[in-house]
Amino acid sequence: MDMDSIPVLAHGCRLHPTQDVLLVPEGTLQLAGPSRDVLARVDGKHTVTAIVDELLLEYEGADATEVRADVMQLLASLEQRGVVRAQR
Amino acid sequence: MTASPFSLIAELTHRCPLHCLYCSNPVALKGAENELSTADWKRVFAQAGRLGVLHLHLTGGEPLVRGDLVELVSAARESGLYVNMITSGVGLKEDRLSALVDAGLEHLQLSFQDQDEAAANHIAGARAHALKLALVPLIRKSPLALTVNLVVHRMNLDRLPEFIVMAEELGPDRLEIAHVQYYGWALKNRSLLMPSEEQVHRSIAVVEAAKQRLKGRIHLESVVPDYFGSFPKACVGGWGRQTILIDPIGQALPCHAAAVIPNLVFDNVRSHDLAWIWEQSPAFQRFRGDAWMSATCLACPRKEQDFGGCRCQAFLLTGDADAIDPVCTYSPHHSLLQTLRGQTPELLPIWRG
Repeated sequence: MDMDSIPVLAHGCRLHPTQDVLLVPEGTLQLAGPSRDVLARVDGKHTVTAIVDELLLEYEGADATEVRADVMQLLASLEQRGVVRAQR
Repeated sequence: MTASPFSLIAELTHRCPLHCLYCSNPVALKGAENELSTADWKRVFAQAGRLGVLHLHLTGGEPLVRGDLVELVSAARESGLYVNMITSGVGLKEDRLSALVDAGLEHLQLSFQDQDEAAANHIAGARAHALKLALVPLIRKSPLALTVNLVVHRMNLDRLPEFIVMAEELGPDRLEIAHVQYYGWALKNRSLLMPSEEQVHRSIAVVEAAKQRLKGRIHLESVVPDYFGSFPKACVGGWGRQTILIDPIGQALPCHAAAVIPNLVFDNVRSHDLAWIWEQSPAFQRFRGDAWMSATCLACPRKEQDFGGCRCQAFLLTGDADAIDPVCTYSPHHSLLQTLRGQTPELLPIWRG
Protein backbone atom coordinates (compact mmCIF):
# COMPACT_ATOMS: atom_id res chain seq x y z
CA MET A 1 0.00 0.00 0.00
CA ASP A 2 1.33 3.45 -0.92
CA MET A 3 -0.17 6.90 -1.48
CA ASP A 4 -1.09 6.09 -5.10
CA SER A 5 -2.77 2.77 -4.24
CA ILE A 6 -6.51 2.41 -4.61
CA PRO A 7 -7.64 0.47 -1.54
CA VAL A 8 -10.73 -1.70 -1.68
CA LEU A 9 -12.49 -3.76 0.98
CA ALA A 10 -11.82 -7.47 0.60
CA HIS A 11 -14.66 -9.83 -0.29
CA GLY A 12 -17.04 -10.38 2.59
CA CYS A 13 -16.08 -7.15 4.40
CA ARG A 14 -18.39 -4.17 4.79
CA LEU A 15 -19.11 -1.26 7.09
CA HIS A 16 -22.09 -1.72 9.36
CA PRO A 17 -24.72 0.79 8.19
CA THR A 18 -25.13 2.40 11.61
CA GLN A 19 -22.66 1.01 14.15
CA ASP A 20 -18.93 1.81 14.17
CA VAL A 21 -17.81 -1.67 13.21
CA LEU A 22 -16.41 -3.29 10.12
CA LEU A 23 -18.15 -6.60 9.51
CA VAL A 24 -15.69 -9.24 8.36
CA PRO A 25 -15.92 -13.00 7.97
CA GLU A 26 -16.23 -14.50 11.46
CA GLY A 27 -15.98 -11.22 13.27
CA THR A 28 -16.26 -7.49 13.67
CA LEU A 29 -13.49 -4.94 13.90
CA GLN A 30 -14.24 -2.00 16.18
CA LEU A 31 -13.59 1.29 14.44
CA ALA A 32 -12.01 3.85 16.74
CA GLY A 33 -11.81 7.58 16.11
CA PRO A 34 -11.81 8.65 12.47
CA SER A 35 -11.29 5.16 11.03
CA ARG A 36 -14.92 4.96 9.92
CA ASP A 37 -14.41 8.15 7.87
CA VAL A 38 -11.40 6.53 6.21
CA LEU A 39 -13.16 3.25 5.44
CA ALA A 40 -16.24 5.03 4.11
CA ARG A 41 -13.91 6.26 1.33
CA VAL A 42 -12.39 2.85 0.65
CA ASP A 43 -14.57 2.30 -2.39
CA GLY A 44 -12.23 1.16 -5.14
CA LYS A 45 -12.21 4.68 -6.61
CA HIS A 46 -10.31 6.86 -4.13
CA THR A 47 -6.52 6.66 -4.02
CA VAL A 48 -4.96 6.93 -0.55
CA THR A 49 -3.95 10.49 -1.47
CA ALA A 50 -7.55 11.35 -2.40
CA ILE A 51 -8.80 9.92 0.90
CA VAL A 52 -6.29 12.04 2.84
CA ASP A 53 -7.22 15.18 0.88
CA GLU A 54 -10.91 14.71 1.62
CA LEU A 55 -10.25 14.13 5.30
CA LEU A 56 -8.14 17.28 5.50
CA LEU A 57 -11.08 19.27 4.12
CA GLU A 58 -13.35 17.69 6.70
CA TYR A 59 -11.04 18.04 9.72
CA GLU A 60 -10.19 21.72 9.71
CA GLY A 61 -6.79 22.52 11.12
CA ALA A 62 -5.58 18.91 11.10
CA ASP A 63 -1.90 18.34 10.42
CA ALA A 64 -1.48 16.91 6.90
CA THR A 65 1.61 14.84 7.73
CA GLU A 66 -0.10 13.31 10.73
CA VAL A 67 -3.32 12.49 8.86
CA ARG A 68 -1.33 10.92 6.02
CA ALA A 69 0.64 8.77 8.47
CA ASP A 70 -2.49 7.73 10.39
CA VAL A 71 -4.38 6.78 7.22
CA MET A 72 -1.44 4.79 5.85
CA GLN A 73 -0.98 3.00 9.16
CA LEU A 74 -4.66 2.08 9.41
CA LEU A 75 -4.85 0.82 5.82
CA ALA A 76 -1.59 -1.10 6.07
CA SER A 77 -2.69 -2.88 9.24
CA LEU A 78 -6.07 -3.74 7.70
CA GLU A 79 -4.23 -5.01 4.62
CA GLN A 80 -2.11 -7.28 6.83
CA ARG A 81 -5.32 -8.55 8.43
CA GLY A 82 -6.65 -9.30 4.93
CA VAL A 83 -9.71 -7.07 5.08
CA VAL A 84 -8.41 -4.31 2.80
CA ARG A 85 -6.57 -4.94 -0.47
CA ALA A 86 -4.61 -2.53 -2.65
CA GLN A 87 -6.29 -2.63 -6.05
CA ARG A 88 -3.51 -1.06 -8.05
CA MET B 1 -30.61 -5.21 30.13
CA THR B 2 -28.36 -7.98 28.85
CA ALA B 3 -26.00 -6.81 26.07
CA SER B 4 -27.11 -7.92 22.59
CA PRO B 5 -25.76 -11.18 21.18
CA PHE B 6 -23.32 -10.88 18.27
CA SER B 7 -24.16 -14.12 16.53
CA LEU B 8 -27.10 -16.22 15.59
CA ILE B 9 -26.31 -19.77 14.58
CA ALA B 10 -29.14 -21.21 12.50
CA GLU B 11 -29.04 -24.99 12.25
CA LEU B 12 -31.42 -25.10 9.31
CA THR B 13 -31.57 -28.89 9.19
CA HIS B 14 -29.81 -31.93 10.55
CA ARG B 15 -30.02 -33.65 7.15
CA CYS B 16 -26.55 -34.03 5.64
CA PRO B 17 -24.97 -35.97 2.76
CA LEU B 18 -21.82 -36.39 4.88
CA HIS B 19 -21.41 -38.63 7.90
CA CYS B 20 -18.26 -37.22 9.45
CA LEU B 21 -16.77 -39.24 12.26
CA TYR B 22 -16.24 -36.01 14.18
CA CYS B 23 -19.77 -34.63 13.67
CA SER B 24 -20.55 -32.25 16.53
CA ASN B 25 -24.31 -32.49 16.08
CA PRO B 26 -26.22 -34.42 18.73
CA VAL B 27 -26.27 -38.20 18.68
CA ALA B 28 -30.06 -38.07 18.17
CA LEU B 29 -30.72 -35.86 15.14
CA LYS B 30 -33.94 -33.91 14.59
CA GLY B 31 -36.08 -35.25 11.78
CA ALA B 32 -37.00 -33.25 8.67
CA GLU B 33 -40.72 -33.44 9.49
CA ASN B 34 -40.37 -31.09 12.47
CA GLU B 35 -38.07 -28.51 10.88
CA LEU B 36 -38.98 -24.83 11.11
CA SER B 37 -40.77 -23.43 8.08
CA THR B 38 -39.52 -20.68 5.78
CA ALA B 39 -41.85 -18.21 7.52
CA ASP B 40 -40.52 -19.25 10.95
CA TRP B 41 -36.91 -18.62 9.96
CA LYS B 42 -37.74 -15.29 8.31
CA ARG B 43 -39.47 -14.15 11.49
CA VAL B 44 -36.45 -15.24 13.58
CA PHE B 45 -34.04 -13.34 11.31
CA ALA B 46 -36.14 -10.17 11.56
CA GLN B 47 -36.19 -10.53 15.36
CA ALA B 48 -32.44 -11.09 15.38
CA GLY B 49 -31.85 -7.91 13.38
CA ARG B 50 -33.97 -5.93 15.84
CA LEU B 51 -32.13 -7.51 18.78
CA GLY B 52 -28.82 -6.21 17.41
CA VAL B 53 -27.34 -9.50 16.17
CA LEU B 54 -24.59 -8.81 13.63
CA HIS B 55 -23.64 -12.20 12.19
CA LEU B 56 -25.84 -15.02 10.98
CA HIS B 57 -24.25 -18.42 10.49
CA LEU B 58 -26.33 -20.73 8.35
CA THR B 59 -25.36 -24.27 9.13
CA GLY B 60 -26.78 -27.71 9.71
CA GLY B 61 -26.43 -30.54 8.83
CA GLU B 62 -26.13 -29.26 5.33
CA PRO B 63 -27.95 -25.96 4.69
CA LEU B 64 -28.05 -26.67 0.93
CA VAL B 65 -30.58 -29.42 1.65
CA ARG B 66 -33.14 -26.69 2.34
CA GLY B 67 -35.03 -25.84 -0.86
CA ASP B 68 -35.76 -22.36 0.51
CA LEU B 69 -32.14 -21.40 1.15
CA VAL B 70 -31.98 -18.53 -1.36
CA GLU B 71 -35.15 -17.04 0.10
CA LEU B 72 -33.72 -17.37 3.62
CA VAL B 73 -30.45 -15.64 2.69
CA SER B 74 -32.36 -12.82 1.12
CA ALA B 75 -34.61 -12.41 4.19
CA ALA B 76 -31.57 -12.43 6.48
CA ARG B 77 -29.89 -9.63 4.52
CA GLU B 78 -33.09 -7.62 4.54
CA SER B 79 -33.06 -7.99 8.33
CA GLY B 80 -29.60 -6.39 8.40
CA LEU B 81 -27.60 -9.53 9.18
CA TYR B 82 -24.17 -10.46 7.83
CA VAL B 83 -24.72 -13.83 6.17
CA ASN B 84 -22.25 -16.68 6.40
CA MET B 85 -22.89 -20.25 5.29
CA ILE B 86 -21.07 -23.30 6.59
CA THR B 87 -21.39 -26.00 3.98
CA SER B 88 -19.94 -29.22 2.65
CA GLY B 89 -20.57 -27.81 -0.82
CA VAL B 90 -21.97 -31.14 -1.91
CA GLY B 91 -24.57 -30.56 -4.61
CA LEU B 92 -23.79 -26.86 -5.04
CA LYS B 93 -23.86 -25.96 -8.73
CA GLU B 94 -22.89 -22.69 -10.39
CA ASP B 95 -26.45 -21.42 -10.89
CA ARG B 96 -27.44 -21.96 -7.26
CA LEU B 97 -24.21 -20.39 -6.06
CA SER B 98 -24.92 -17.25 -8.09
CA ALA B 99 -28.49 -17.17 -6.83
CA LEU B 100 -27.15 -17.31 -3.24
CA VAL B 101 -24.67 -14.51 -3.99
CA ASP B 102 -27.38 -12.40 -5.61
CA ALA B 103 -29.56 -12.97 -2.53
CA GLY B 104 -26.77 -11.51 -0.38
CA LEU B 105 -24.60 -14.37 0.85
CA GLU B 106 -21.28 -12.83 1.93
CA HIS B 107 -19.04 -15.56 3.28
CA LEU B 108 -18.80 -19.27 2.73
CA GLN B 109 -16.96 -21.77 4.88
CA LEU B 110 -15.86 -25.03 3.33
CA SER B 111 -14.23 -27.71 5.40
CA PHE B 112 -11.73 -30.31 4.23
CA GLN B 113 -11.05 -33.63 5.90
CA ASP B 114 -7.59 -34.50 4.53
CA GLN B 115 -5.41 -33.69 1.53
CA ASP B 116 -5.48 -37.33 0.56
CA GLU B 117 -8.74 -38.08 -1.23
CA ALA B 118 -9.31 -41.59 0.10
CA ALA B 119 -8.56 -40.55 3.67
CA ALA B 120 -10.80 -37.48 3.34
CA ASN B 121 -13.72 -39.52 2.00
CA HIS B 122 -13.22 -42.08 4.75
CA ILE B 123 -13.51 -39.42 7.49
CA ALA B 124 -16.51 -37.76 5.79
CA GLY B 125 -18.26 -41.06 5.20
CA ALA B 126 -18.96 -39.85 1.64
CA ARG B 127 -17.20 -39.21 -1.66
CA ALA B 128 -17.10 -35.49 -1.11
CA HIS B 129 -13.45 -34.47 -1.43
CA ALA B 130 -13.28 -34.13 -5.22
CA LEU B 131 -16.60 -32.25 -5.27
CA LYS B 132 -15.28 -29.77 -2.73
CA LEU B 133 -12.08 -29.19 -4.68
CA ALA B 134 -14.05 -28.64 -7.88
CA LEU B 135 -16.29 -26.09 -6.17
CA VAL B 136 -13.48 -23.78 -5.03
CA PRO B 137 -12.73 -22.17 -8.44
CA LEU B 138 -16.44 -21.36 -8.82
CA ILE B 139 -16.48 -19.72 -5.40
CA ARG B 140 -13.33 -17.77 -6.23
CA LYS B 141 -14.97 -16.35 -9.36
CA SER B 142 -17.77 -14.96 -7.17
CA PRO B 143 -17.54 -11.98 -4.80
CA LEU B 144 -17.75 -14.25 -1.74
CA ALA B 145 -15.22 -14.38 1.06
CA LEU B 146 -13.99 -17.94 1.42
CA THR B 147 -12.78 -19.67 4.55
CA VAL B 148 -11.19 -23.06 4.16
CA ASN B 149 -11.44 -25.06 7.33
CA LEU B 150 -9.05 -27.93 7.92
CA VAL B 151 -10.41 -30.32 10.51
CA VAL B 152 -7.53 -32.05 12.26
CA HIS B 153 -7.20 -35.02 14.61
CA ARG B 154 -4.95 -38.01 15.30
CA MET B 155 -5.41 -39.56 11.87
CA ASN B 156 -4.34 -36.54 9.77
CA LEU B 157 -2.29 -34.33 12.08
CA ASP B 158 1.03 -35.80 10.94
CA ARG B 159 0.24 -34.65 7.39
CA LEU B 160 -0.57 -31.07 8.46
CA PRO B 161 2.23 -29.42 6.42
CA GLU B 162 0.93 -30.96 3.17
CA PHE B 163 -2.66 -30.27 4.23
CA ILE B 164 -1.84 -26.57 4.66
CA VAL B 165 -0.15 -26.47 1.24
CA MET B 166 -3.33 -27.91 -0.30
CA ALA B 167 -5.40 -25.21 1.40
CA GLU B 168 -2.96 -22.48 0.37
CA GLU B 169 -3.26 -23.51 -3.29
CA LEU B 170 -7.03 -23.17 -3.07
CA GLY B 171 -6.44 -19.46 -2.38
CA PRO B 172 -8.95 -18.73 0.40
CA ASP B 173 -9.20 -15.42 2.26
CA ARG B 174 -9.12 -17.22 5.57
CA LEU B 175 -7.78 -20.51 6.75
CA GLU B 176 -8.95 -22.16 9.93
CA ILE B 177 -7.17 -25.09 11.48
CA ALA B 178 -9.73 -26.65 13.75
CA HIS B 179 -9.00 -29.47 16.10
CA VAL B 180 -11.93 -31.80 16.54
CA GLN B 181 -13.86 -31.12 19.72
CA TYR B 182 -15.54 -33.96 21.52
CA TYR B 183 -19.21 -33.12 21.55
CA GLY B 184 -22.19 -34.85 19.96
CA TRP B 185 -21.24 -37.76 17.73
CA ALA B 186 -17.53 -36.89 17.95
CA LEU B 187 -17.47 -37.91 21.62
CA LYS B 188 -18.18 -41.50 20.55
CA ASN B 189 -15.00 -41.42 18.46
CA ARG B 190 -12.87 -39.52 20.95
CA SER B 191 -10.35 -42.26 21.44
CA LEU B 192 -9.97 -42.67 17.68
CA LEU B 193 -9.62 -38.92 17.03
CA MET B 194 -7.64 -37.63 19.99
CA PRO B 195 -4.05 -36.86 18.97
CA SER B 196 -0.99 -37.65 21.02
CA GLU B 197 0.78 -34.87 22.93
CA GLU B 198 3.74 -35.21 20.61
CA GLN B 199 1.52 -34.72 17.54
CA VAL B 200 -0.05 -31.64 19.10
CA HIS B 201 3.31 -30.08 19.94
CA ARG B 202 4.67 -30.69 16.44
CA SER B 203 1.52 -29.19 14.92
CA ILE B 204 1.86 -25.96 16.91
CA ALA B 205 5.23 -25.26 15.28
CA VAL B 206 3.82 -26.10 11.83
CA VAL B 207 0.91 -23.68 12.32
CA GLU B 208 3.19 -20.88 13.56
CA ALA B 209 5.45 -21.25 10.51
CA ALA B 210 2.42 -21.19 8.19
CA LYS B 211 1.07 -18.07 9.91
CA GLN B 212 4.32 -16.24 9.21
CA ARG B 213 4.51 -17.46 5.62
CA LEU B 214 0.90 -16.56 4.77
CA LYS B 215 0.84 -13.19 6.54
CA GLY B 216 -0.95 -10.52 4.51
CA ARG B 217 -2.20 -13.13 2.02
CA ILE B 218 -4.32 -15.61 3.96
CA HIS B 219 -5.55 -14.89 7.45
CA LEU B 220 -4.87 -18.02 9.49
CA GLU B 221 -6.67 -18.85 12.71
CA SER B 222 -6.12 -21.87 14.86
CA VAL B 223 -6.76 -22.94 18.41
CA VAL B 224 -4.78 -25.35 20.54
CA PRO B 225 -6.99 -28.35 21.23
CA ASP B 226 -8.83 -28.03 24.47
CA TYR B 227 -7.76 -31.28 26.10
CA PHE B 228 -4.11 -30.22 25.86
CA GLY B 229 -4.47 -26.79 27.42
CA SER B 230 -3.94 -25.62 30.98
CA PHE B 231 -6.83 -23.18 30.99
CA PRO B 232 -10.29 -23.55 29.46
CA LYS B 233 -11.58 -21.79 26.38
CA ALA B 234 -14.13 -18.98 26.61
CA CYS B 235 -16.73 -21.33 25.18
CA VAL B 236 -19.09 -19.48 22.77
CA GLY B 237 -17.65 -16.28 24.26
CA GLY B 238 -19.31 -17.12 27.58
CA TRP B 239 -22.70 -18.69 28.26
CA GLY B 240 -25.51 -16.35 27.15
CA ARG B 241 -23.07 -13.54 26.38
CA GLN B 242 -22.62 -13.54 22.59
CA THR B 243 -24.38 -16.39 20.85
CA ILE B 244 -27.83 -17.84 20.28
CA LEU B 245 -28.21 -21.13 18.44
CA ILE B 246 -31.54 -22.20 16.97
CA ASP B 247 -31.78 -25.90 16.21
CA PRO B 248 -33.77 -27.31 13.26
CA ILE B 249 -37.00 -27.59 15.28
CA GLY B 250 -36.76 -24.08 16.73
CA GLN B 251 -35.26 -24.66 20.17
CA ALA B 252 -33.01 -21.81 21.33
CA LEU B 253 -29.74 -23.03 22.87
CA PRO B 254 -26.80 -21.09 24.31
CA CYS B 255 -24.42 -23.40 22.39
CA HIS B 256 -24.59 -26.38 20.05
CA ALA B 257 -23.98 -28.97 22.77
CA ALA B 258 -26.16 -27.53 25.56
CA ALA B 259 -28.81 -30.25 25.20
CA VAL B 260 -26.47 -32.71 26.95
CA ILE B 261 -26.87 -30.80 30.22
CA PRO B 262 -29.70 -32.33 32.26
CA ASN B 263 -32.75 -30.33 33.34
CA LEU B 264 -32.27 -27.46 30.90
CA VAL B 265 -35.50 -26.51 29.14
CA PHE B 266 -35.06 -24.80 25.78
CA ASP B 267 -37.68 -22.28 24.76
CA ASN B 268 -38.82 -22.42 21.16
CA VAL B 269 -38.91 -19.63 18.58
CA ARG B 270 -42.32 -20.94 17.49
CA SER B 271 -43.77 -19.58 20.74
CA HIS B 272 -41.32 -16.89 21.90
CA ASP B 273 -39.65 -13.81 20.47
CA LEU B 274 -35.87 -13.99 20.27
CA ALA B 275 -35.48 -10.90 22.48
CA TRP B 276 -37.57 -12.57 25.19
CA ILE B 277 -35.52 -15.75 24.88
CA TRP B 278 -32.25 -13.83 25.16
CA GLU B 279 -33.40 -11.91 28.24
CA GLN B 280 -35.67 -14.39 29.99
CA SER B 281 -35.23 -17.99 28.87
CA PRO B 282 -34.05 -19.97 31.93
CA ALA B 283 -31.57 -21.96 29.80
CA PHE B 284 -29.75 -18.72 28.90
CA GLN B 285 -29.78 -17.53 32.51
CA ARG B 286 -28.48 -20.82 33.91
CA PHE B 287 -24.75 -20.07 33.59
CA ARG B 288 -24.87 -16.38 32.73
CA GLY B 289 -22.73 -14.24 35.00
CA ASP B 290 -20.79 -15.85 37.86
CA ALA B 291 -23.40 -16.75 40.51
CA TRP B 292 -23.13 -20.46 39.61
CA MET B 293 -19.33 -20.57 39.86
CA SER B 294 -17.29 -22.47 42.41
CA ALA B 295 -15.34 -20.49 45.01
CA THR B 296 -12.15 -21.25 43.06
CA CYS B 297 -13.52 -19.64 39.87
CA LEU B 298 -15.11 -16.72 41.74
CA ALA B 299 -11.74 -15.78 43.21
CA CYS B 300 -9.88 -16.25 39.91
CA PRO B 301 -9.14 -13.24 37.67
CA ARG B 302 -9.33 -15.53 34.62
CA LYS B 303 -13.11 -15.70 35.01
CA GLU B 304 -13.23 -12.43 33.04
CA GLN B 305 -11.43 -14.14 30.12
CA ASP B 306 -12.90 -17.62 30.03
CA PHE B 307 -16.23 -17.04 31.83
CA GLY B 308 -15.80 -20.35 33.60
CA GLY B 309 -14.97 -22.41 30.49
CA CYS B 310 -17.28 -24.91 28.87
CA ARG B 311 -20.30 -26.16 30.85
CA CYS B 312 -21.02 -29.02 28.47
CA GLN B 313 -17.46 -30.27 28.75
CA ALA B 314 -17.56 -29.99 32.54
CA PHE B 315 -20.72 -32.13 32.53
CA LEU B 316 -19.51 -34.65 29.96
CA LEU B 317 -16.24 -35.24 31.82
CA THR B 318 -17.31 -35.00 35.46
CA GLY B 319 -21.09 -35.55 35.46
CA ASP B 320 -21.56 -32.14 37.09
CA ALA B 321 -22.43 -29.15 34.88
CA ASP B 322 -21.45 -26.72 37.68
CA ALA B 323 -17.98 -28.21 38.10
CA ILE B 324 -14.80 -26.33 37.17
CA ASP B 325 -14.01 -27.09 33.51
CA PRO B 326 -11.51 -29.98 33.87
CA VAL B 327 -9.27 -28.39 31.24
CA CYS B 328 -8.38 -25.90 33.98
CA THR B 329 -5.25 -26.60 35.92
CA TYR B 330 -7.12 -25.64 39.12
CA SER B 331 -9.84 -28.26 38.58
CA PRO B 332 -9.71 -31.21 41.01
CA HIS B 333 -10.57 -33.31 37.90
CA HIS B 334 -7.71 -32.02 35.74
CA SER B 335 -5.97 -35.40 35.99
CA LEU B 336 -8.85 -36.90 33.93
CA LEU B 337 -7.38 -35.22 30.88
CA GLN B 338 -3.90 -36.46 31.65
CA THR B 339 -5.35 -39.96 31.80
CA LEU B 340 -7.14 -39.50 28.47
CA ARG B 341 -3.96 -38.15 26.87
CA GLY B 342 -2.07 -41.23 27.98
CA GLN B 343 -4.60 -43.78 26.68
CA THR B 344 -3.96 -46.18 23.83
CA PRO B 345 -6.00 -44.92 20.89
CA GLU B 346 -8.97 -46.81 19.50
CA LEU B 347 -8.51 -47.88 15.88
CA LEU B 348 -12.08 -48.56 14.78
CA PRO B 349 -14.42 -45.75 13.82
CA ILE B 350 -18.05 -45.61 14.93
CA TRP B 351 -20.31 -44.41 12.11
CA ARG B 352 -23.69 -42.78 12.38
CA GLY B 353 -26.16 -45.56 11.60
